[in-house]
Amino acid sequence: MRLFLSVVAALALAVSAAQAQTIRILMETVPDTRYIQELLPQFEAETGIEVEIEAISYIDMHSKLVPQLIAPEGSYDLIVVDFYWVGEFTKAGWLMPLDDLVERDGVDVDVYVPKLMDLVGRVNGVLYMLPFYNYSMALIYRQDLLDDADEQAAFQEAYGMELRVPQTWDEYWKQVEFFTRDTDGDGNRDLYGTVIQGQRGDCISMQWANYLYSQGGLYHDENWNPLLDSPEAIRAMEYYREAVEKYSPAGSEAYCFDEAFNVMAQGRAYSFVTFNILYAGFEDPESSEVAGKVGITPNPGGGLNGGWGWAIPNSSPNKEAAWTFMKWAESAAVAKERAMLGGAPTQAQIFTDSDVVAARPYYPILGEILAGTKDFPVFTYTTEFVEQVGLELNLAATGEKPVAEAMAAAQEKLHALLVKDGKIEE
Amino acid sequence: MSVATADGLTLAGRDRRFGLLLTAPGLLSLLIVITFPLFFTLYTSVHDYTLLTPNYDTFVGTENYQEALDEEYLPGSLWVTTKFVLASIVIEFIIGFAVALSLHATRRFGSIYYLILLAPLLINPVVVGLLWRMLLHSELGIVNYTIGLVGISPVSWLGDADVAFWTVVLTDIWHQVSFMAILLVAGLAALPREPYEAARMDGASTIRCFIHITLPLMRPVIAVAILLRLIFAIKTFDIIFIMTKGGPGTATDLISYYIYRAAFFGLDVGRASAMAAGLLVIILALTAYLYRYMNSLK
Amino acid sequence: MANIVLEGVTKVYGQDILAVDNIDLEIREGEFMVLLGPSGCGKSTTLRMIAGLEEVTSGNLKINGEIVNDVDPADRDLAVVFQNYALYPHMTVERNLAFGLKLRKTPQEVIDRRIRDTTTMLGIDNLLDRRPSELSGGQQQRVALGRALVRDPEAFLLDEPLSNLDAKLRAAMRTELIKIHRMLGKTVVHVTHDQVEAMTMGERICIMREGRIIQVGPPLDVYRHPADSFVAGFLASPPMNLLEGKLAGHHGVNEVDLSAISLPVPRHRRAPLRRHAGSEVVVGIRPEDVHTEEPAEGVHRRVDITVVAVEVLGPEVILVADLGSGQEISVRQGPTFEAVAGARIPLYIDLEQIHFFEAGSGLAILHGGASGPVRPELGSYLKEGGPEAPA
Repeated sequence: MRLFLSVVAALALAVSAAQAQTIRILMETVPDTRYIQELLPQFEAETGIEVEIEAISYIDMHSKLVPQLIAPEGSYDLIVVDFYWVGEFTKAGWLMPLDDLVERDGVDVDVYVPKLMDLVGRVNGVLYMLPFYNYSMALIYRQDLLDDADEQAAFQEAYGMELRVPQTWDEYWKQVEFFTRDTDGDGNRDLYGTVIQGQRGDCISMQWANYLYSQGGLYHDENWNPLLDSPEAIRAMEYYREAVEKYSPAGSEAYCFDEAFNVMAQGRAYSFVTFNILYAGFEDPESSEVAGKVGITPNPGGGLNGGWGWAIPNSSPNKEAAWTFMKWAESAAVAKERAMLGGAPTQAQIFTDSDVVAARPYYPILGEILAGTKDFPVFTYTTEFVEQVGLELNLAATGEKPVAEAMAAAQEKLHALLVKDGKIEE
Repeated sequence: MSVATADGLTLAGRDRRFGLLLTAPGLLSLLIVITFPLFFTLYTSVHDYTLLTPNYDTFVGTENYQEALDEEYLPGSLWVTTKFVLASIVIEFIIGFAVALSLHATRRFGSIYYLILLAPLLINPVVVGLLWRMLLHSELGIVNYTIGLVGISPVSWLGDADVAFWTVVLTDIWHQVSFMAILLVAGLAALPREPYEAARMDGASTIRCFIHITLPLMRPVIAVAILLRLIFAIKTFDIIFIMTKGGPGTATDLISYYIYRAAFFGLDVGRASAMAAGLLVIILALTAYLYRYMNSLK
Repeated sequence: MANIVLEGVTKVYGQDILAVDNIDLEIREGEFMVLLGPSGCGKSTTLRMIAGLEEVTSGNLKINGEIVNDVDPADRDLAVVFQNYALYPHMTVERNLAFGLKLRKTPQEVIDRRIRDTTTMLGIDNLLDRRPSELSGGQQQRVALGRALVRDPEAFLLDEPLSNLDAKLRAAMRTELIKIHRMLGKTVVHVTHDQVEAMTMGERICIMREGRIIQVGPPLDVYRHPADSFVAGFLASPPMNLLEGKLAGHHGVNEVDLSAISLPVPRHRRAPLRRHAGSEVVVGIRPEDVHTEEPAEGVHRRVDITVVAVEVLGPEVILVADLGSGQEISVRQGPTFEAVAGARIPLYIDLEQIHFFEAGSGLAILHGGASGPVRPELGSYLKEGGPEAPA
């Protein structure tokens, strides 16, 4: 009888374990998700936990996540969180603090680049996420054009300075002007100094941030007082408008990064200020005509920091298994393997790991880029801020609103949202 | 003569009661399915319901409506939506009718034409948006390449505010015009033949036949087709979301995307509900008007 | 006024659907011609070819001697009244009537006068401001007729114009149409499947079947001398009883054997039957040529039958009788006739009035009554038609 009981108990345990040991993760359809999927069999073999990854496009993610997060028990055990949503999700109390688990299992979170820890890790001292990958923004440019002796001579003659990887914004802007030209003499420009991803909303908001930082501008001071009508911000917008008018394809005020990517990948642009993760695409002959000809360097004056973090929602049905998965994905070995596949690292040592560098020599530069980035304002209404400011920036970029007027409106909007969030007084 | 039965009801009365009993579950579920979201929206619109505080603890009366009305870009969005709806319906009606008339007159390969015509309608609007965004790429798109071959300089299809509006309208027309055409073809197929023959005997030209016979006889079908397209057009969302995000500037900022932003970016479901309720009133008014117009034709 | 002639007119739809098969017909000036036949017989197609709404596949269509095969319908100066009236839906009655005239650039005062005259004649002058949707079926019918009348065309083509009306209204309209025709004297071609309409309205009837003309002639002539068993069975209600039989007896013509009964053939009627001696034939007996009491005159044969049914119609009673072998005949009786189903009563069949038709083709061999044998020139009779055909 006793034997029978223990068999039954063991069976019951096994059954419940089998039932419980499937976790569902909502992720975005991006390369870094693909790398995780490639490595999944390892995890499933090691732990016996089955993983279902639902990968959808970015545009659907927020509206798909929110109902699941509000629910007492949602359908996702683990999620990935864009830095946009960090303020909102934590303010709403949808994410589970991870400090106890980290302490219990002795996970070392100091391996992460501090900038990313601040962006998609800790909020007000509480650990909600582990940084998954970083999409900090950088300047991608045509190394082959810079190396061309004729171009160097012509540039030297025109500007009285050496043609090299740009170190300052002023130098970069001269190159932008220099390379904008009609190469085949048919009367239409076919090489552009830069490509704008000016579509209203987050496309322009992200790219313009780099212009703002390049001018030494910031979104707000340390006390959250908004600075969008500052001379730096206005100057940044004037540069952006100039790029739209003179140095970027007509119509690029409606591009998002994919359309702009294609212009550069077809060899029609000298440079592109964009997400570092796109660099792998330029180096891939499958998707790019300029593979082997592009370089990546920090945006002069600093680029925008960006990243995604793993988080366990409070509505997660199986938090322990989700945590097991997160630990595995962020373990040193797996993080390294992901980087070898082309993933965008978040842990400091990976950028300079000898195996990684051997496979991908530009990774140390990615580390530099990340180190030089600045943060977007992350607060409860970041998503709405991106929309509202994205509209004003786009109005200025298309010339529908004078730059100063648009920046005054952007300032007003940011102010109102910060007040609404209680960051500043009325 | 009415026969009273044991329960004091007439036979006819019992029949009615039995019929009601049979239809009640269906009617009830229909009522719930339709009215619940409606009242939910109205209820939400008078509360401070946000995604951060998803509860009905704070009743705010008409505050959400006030806030919505005060918004800087709302009138613009309404105006853009009005233009969009009018432009797409008018053009779709003209093209749709022309297509319907030629399809109606086609004897051979009719089903092949139908298939071709229906193809866009079967494509998911998100795909339509992505497809056209690719084709209309100002620098690399096949459209600009093609018109370049005949010496037309490239058009900034989505980058120029005026052009982008028409680009979106034409994309929507490309996607939806067959809906109009198919409805109208069905209407034409149901028309009696004899009035046309009478007109032939009277010596009326094709144009006169169209004006004096086809149009008047088609009026109920036309009204239905326009009503349905009107409702769909006001709700247009996906192609805006995919193609322009309402830009450049506010050139294509349709109201449905505007409301979506209030709910999912602004997190303010209460205010979004208030706007949705306002939109519903407008649509209902238009529908009621068209419905009455249709009834007046009978 | 128009004289309309069809010469070898054929209509083929699509590849091989033969709707009208090589017909010859003359519709004389001012004549009221009825095209009669079951649905699908080609009568409407014929009318539509005359109107110009259908193309003539082969053959000639002449109006007043001119070939009009390729003339536009509007230029043939004919008016059609359609079965479903085909009024212009959003126009008032007045505009419906004026539409064709305006297209023909008729002066306004002429239009006004004609509309006034026509609507007064048809009794619809109070409806001028109404739209078709506000009119009853009968009123719409009158407007449709009025639309044809105001045009004052060479001829009127009526395509089953009465079939959508109720019985009472239909009878009234029949009379009215006849009256109008008499008044105007215009050529009328009237298509119908209703033999009563044909009999009452037509000056001549053209009976069609499967795209061909079977017989043309004045109603009574066609009634008395049906060219074949189809015509015999189509006209009148109840129509002629058609029974399968076989010529038998001495020489194979002295009697006709109807399985249960046998009827003698009077001596003077035998000659035309000789060619068919001993053959299967179809025997036609009109319901009015059978009596329940032996008439004083004539040659009758008594048969005892079982009453199957008695249909009391008021002015007459139709007795359905079983001849004994399952063959039933209808017998027309006066209003006072009474009998119960199942009763056995004697019937007296008028032997002089029996029609004989060939069994296979149905062609008439011998008509009843004084008319005697069918003329050998049957073919030309069919084409020429009319009572003045050679006797």
